[in-house]
Amino acid sequence: MSLINFEFRNEILQYNASLSYCYQCSTCSSGCPVALITEGKYNPRKIIELALLGFEEELIEEQNPNVWLCSTCQKCLELCPQKVELTEIFSVIKNRCFERGKLPEAFVLQAQTIVNEGIAIPFSKSILSRREKMNLPEIKTAEMKELEPIFKETGIENKIKVGEK
Amino acid sequence: MEYDLFLGCVIPARLPFLEASARKVFDKMGIQLNDVDGFSCCPDPTGIEQIDQDTWLALGARNLSLSNNGNGGIISLCSGCVETLKGVNYHINKDEKVKEKTNKILKKAGTQYDGLTSVKHFGQVLYENLELIKKHLVNPLDGFKVAVHYGCHYLRPSEIIGWDDPFEPFTIDSIIQALGAETIEYEMKLECCGNPVDKSDKELSLLMIGNKLESIINSGANCVALVCPACYQQFDFNQRELNKLNETDYDIPIFYLSELVALAFGIDPNELGFKYHRAKPTALLQEFNFLK
Repeated sequence: MSLINFEFRNEILQYNASLSYCYQCSTCSSGCPVALITEGKYNPRKIIELALLGFEEELIEEQNPNVWLCSTCQKCLELCPQKVELTEIFSVIKNRCFERGKLPEAFVLQAQTIVNEGIAIPFSKSILSRREKMNLPEIKTAEMKELEPIFKETGIENKIKVGEK
Repeated sequence: MEYDLFLGCVIPARLPFLEASARKVFDKMGIQLNDVDGFSCCPDPTGIEQIDQDTWLALGARNLSLSNNGNGGIISLCSGCVETLKGVNYHINKDEKVKEKTNKILKKAGTQYDGLTSVKHFGQVLYENLELIKKHLVNPLDGFKVAVHYGCHYLRPSEIIGWDDPFEPFTIDSIIQALGAETIEYEMKLECCGNPVDKSDKELSLLMIGNKLESIINSGANCVALVCPACYQQFDFNQRELNKLNETDYDIPIFYLSELVALAFGIDPNELGFKYHRAKPTALLQEFNFLK
């Protein structure tokens, strides 16, 4: 049986009070490209409903509906007559999923690359030679010593290790 | 006119030919793009923002702090970078607590951000200089029937992007029409390409781009124009894969907006790296006398 977790609901509300404006009209789901293609299996209205009810287990552990299927196209947020910031709320939920290692591996891999290299896609030898052939300048990206204090302070370093399991 | 060029990751490290076309176009227009040392990943609004907001804010603010406010601020060739950089600005300026929290993190890295760096998508800069584009027009794109794909983050959330119209966009169509090409309306024009879903569900992501390509091909367009490297990869890299899966025969050229402007400016197509496209535009370019 699902239990209402008021603490979880309040945590989301604290980050984004617009959650409380939702009156479940489903305009979001009618404009959602992923809802369309999954025939409603993915359903932004439902995610907001579960968040309003504080159903943490469904959203984070079971992920049914799966918040990670959101394409972040921002149509729902744009269409919402109540100005509920859906994608912002989904981000808060996904941030909580990340803390518990409940996320698709690709997100962890991308974060690891950024924490280790400062950029999401390191320059390969073949790309460097292609850049040279096209007369493109050398790119000097951030030095890791400038970024490491940020990763340490936000704690993303440790959270990535959770994701490694 | 000058801007600080924010390249991000995908374009310089995977699709440098798109960067080449943009540099050539802005050079022709006399708009100076400054290379700035020390940028990191923007970071990805469909990646890092989704898993760790604080890191997203701090890295974004650090990047913004590196731009010199004395010129036009930052210009970016990528809609994802634009959403992140504009989004970080928006959140920092909307809520003093977010600004304080972000600057507390940045202090550890020896820097601060005031929230004042302006950010523009290269499509915006082109649209703002439409008359200048017309002046440099050498080879009008006669015969090009272009399906414009705006993508999501060029337009939305409109409160953050503050540019064009979130549901009736017109700026890229106007630029392409100014180049002498025809733009073609199609049913799924506003739909997402599906690229961000790839990280969670590859099959779903392919279904989304498949539907979009089908709608474009049915519209009678002979090429696609777009302004985001994530969309570019989704459209150009997946046609062959979809053909294998569904026995379709998609082979429609995908152009970056800067490539079309470069062609119309008379820049030699051989300098533009069309050979790196997977759906080759060679036949189209030959048909309309851009290539022999």
